[in-house]
Amino acid sequence: MFKNKNITILLVIAVIVIIVGILLFPGVQNSIKTVFKGGKATGPVKLTVWGRDLPNDDPAHAYIRAVVTGFRAENPDIELEYIALGDPGLMDKTKVAMASNKDLPDIFQGWGGSVMGGYADAGRLLDMTKELKSIPCSAAAREAMTWKKKIYGVAPFFAIAGLFINEDIFKANGLKIPTTIDELEAVADALKAKGIQPFACGARDKWPPLALYMYLTDRYGGINAFDDARTRKIRFDSDAFVQAAQKYQEWVKKGYFGEKPLSEAYGDADNLMATGKAAMQVTGSWKCAQYASKDFTDQNIGFYPFPVLPGGKGEITDMMGMVDIGFTVTKAAANKKDAVVRFLKYAMSVEACSAEKGRICAVPGVKVPTRLTGMASEVFGKAKAIQFWWDQDLPPMITSPLNDTLQTFFMPESDVVRALTKYEELAEEHLGPAKEI
Amino acid sequence: MKSNANVSIFTSGVKYQLKRDWNLIIFKSIFLLPALAFLVIFMYYPIEETFRLSMMRATGLGDTVFIGFDNYLRLFKNDEFIAGFINVFAWSFWSVIIQIPLAFFIAFSLSVYKNKITSPLRAVYYLANILPSAITAMLGRFIFAPRYGVIATISEKFNWTWLGKIDFLGDTNIVFWSIFTVATWAYTGFGIIYLMANIEQIPMELREAAELDGANKWQYARFIVLPMIAYPIRILAIISTIGSLKLFDLPWMLTGGGPGYSTSTLVIALYKQGFVNWQYGRGSAIGVIIFLLALIFAVTQFSLQGKEGSVK
Repeated sequence: MFKNKNITILLVIAVIVIIVGILLFPGVQNSIKTVFKGGKATGPVKLTVWGRDLPNDDPAHAYIRAVVTGFRAENPDIELEYIALGDPGLMDKTKVAMASNKDLPDIFQGWGGSVMGGYADAGRLLDMTKELKSIPCSAAAREAMTWKKKIYGVAPFFAIAGLFINEDIFKANGLKIPTTIDELEAVADALKAKGIQPFACGARDKWPPLALYMYLTDRYGGINAFDDARTRKIRFDSDAFVQAAQKYQEWVKKGYFGEKPLSEAYGDADNLMATGKAAMQVTGSWKCAQYASKDFTDQNIGFYPFPVLPGGKGEITDMMGMVDIGFTVTKAAANKKDAVVRFLKYAMSVEACSAEKGRICAVPGVKVPTRLTGMASEVFGKAKAIQFWWDQDLPPMITSPLNDTLQTFFMPESDVVRALTKYEELAEEHLGPAKEI
Repeated sequence: MKSNANVSIFTSGVKYQLKRDWNLIIFKSIFLLPALAFLVIFMYYPIEETFRLSMMRATGLGDTVFIGFDNYLRLFKNDEFIAGFINVFAWSFWSVIIQIPLAFFIAFSLSVYKNKITSPLRAVYYLANILPSAITAMLGRFIFAPRYGVIATISEKFNWTWLGKIDFLGDTNIVFWSIFTVATWAYTGFGIIYLMANIEQIPMELREAAELDGANKWQYARFIVLPMIAYPIRILAIISTIGSLKLFDLPWMLTGGGPGYSTSTLVIALYKQGFVNWQYGRGSAIGVIIFLLALIFAVTQFSLQGKEGSVK
């Protein structure tokens, strides 16, 4: 009898534990809240935004800080929950949430392009075309946040890749800003002879070499070369891609990127530029704030368009660009469109964007914060054609392998044609075979 | 009458026994239920899902399509997977060849030559093992980094240009060994502590008898200690091999699996296929392969236990 009592007590405890466990489960809690509130939200509307940077005093985070603090001050009826997830935390968490279709934020910071397109195709995003089409911004920024003619967000800042040049080093060595690839090579040879590393890159991180490769391919094959490969009119191992890769590897072998380029990360490349140990860098205009800051570097750094190749198909006005800061709306915000629009309008306001210290702003009427940003904006303003950054334009299945492929260009013994053919095989699997033979 | 009483006693005994067993079953089941639920939810179900997903084309978004063994077939044409496969087996081989003898040498020295610094040394050797991998990787970078790294600074200080020219993290012929060196420093601590615990269990009388017979330290190690701890060494080799299959953190943080795929591992390939390339099906296929390989080693481990008794 005593033993039976014990079992009864244990059974009761087990049942209580199970019931409490079920009640504590978040989904059940939400259902209970909905039932007790009659299915209607009460109190201030809560807006959850996932971002990359902390809204702190870091000069590079000035814009996001202005957005978060300014929006909260101006909209007391909206409870803004801003969660900074860092890099690559933001991308990883967004990907997992989108895949599981659970716990989606209302808005997340993103870069538009094919990744956003994948989410849109899967029905995870909210079509905001009607609400956002009237917000003034540059055409390139709007296009980047558009997928299949529907607008899913806004991009207050847009970045282009270009040639950062240490003007002090050029002046001290009597070098002219190169406008052709031949001049660029002559400058690089001269710098190398003086013991200065011509280019900073950061090839250990795999993605930084892409900026230069995109330009080289464009200069050989023209602005349509990449898009033709993406849409399978040509192969990724066709002439323009191979010539660009061979030129890249030739520069590696000449030592333009230093003796140990594969050991240096992107942060190391920043330091090389900041300390005047490297004279040039082909990367995105997001570096403008850092390179213009006297706290970061005492060097005078300028921003110029990537040189043109005499006899090549690419123009000096062809630019590689991408969203620098963008916000995308998910379907979780379907019932709070008003709050979402207010947030996005504030994110695109002159007031918020003016806090930024270096990025190229896509919003008209925002003053250029530094000389360097002014130079980048001027280059951007002269663009006649913009190709979106390849890794934002290709499906995710083949973006990381692209960066892996580019890293092999830095290995002097590697066969770049074989590497590109292997990449083409992967592209065929996901994009289909190319039409050219 | 006597006979009836016996039956009655016997019958009641049976009834009592049955009732008692039933209670015991419920009692045990209640206690086993949480552990069983935990295992089913967090282990068996994910394993089953991984097997299922490995047969699918799945991006995580949209529908999954059954494609049979296509993911597996494509993996064997994938450079990153093949490099990862070769690297983990090379890693496993060299771990057994280098790390275990090193662990034995240090463990034996610390056990046999006892003095004031033995105890602090144990802590020093084990310290690397308890450091988070991120810290270990940072230390590795601090040593091997070009320009500002410890080796670069030493080579500059002493004008050793030959040393300064070595690209420890960027040369595909060297980078494996650079990471392996860091791992040896980080992981040997466990082997040292494990083998020390076994060496110290060897009865003192055996050592005294060996000394009386005129055995020196080398002979004591070779003919007494090594045979006595042969079984723990085998277990250590299996642990090390299974650990190699799961290798991820150090190569990922030091080189990201590069340059190219020269330091890629099976788990790096899995992570990239699943979470970077959105190829959850292919990532799952790598997971299944790792699982099966680990299972083979685990079965080997259990069969060793069967032959030699319980693991020390």
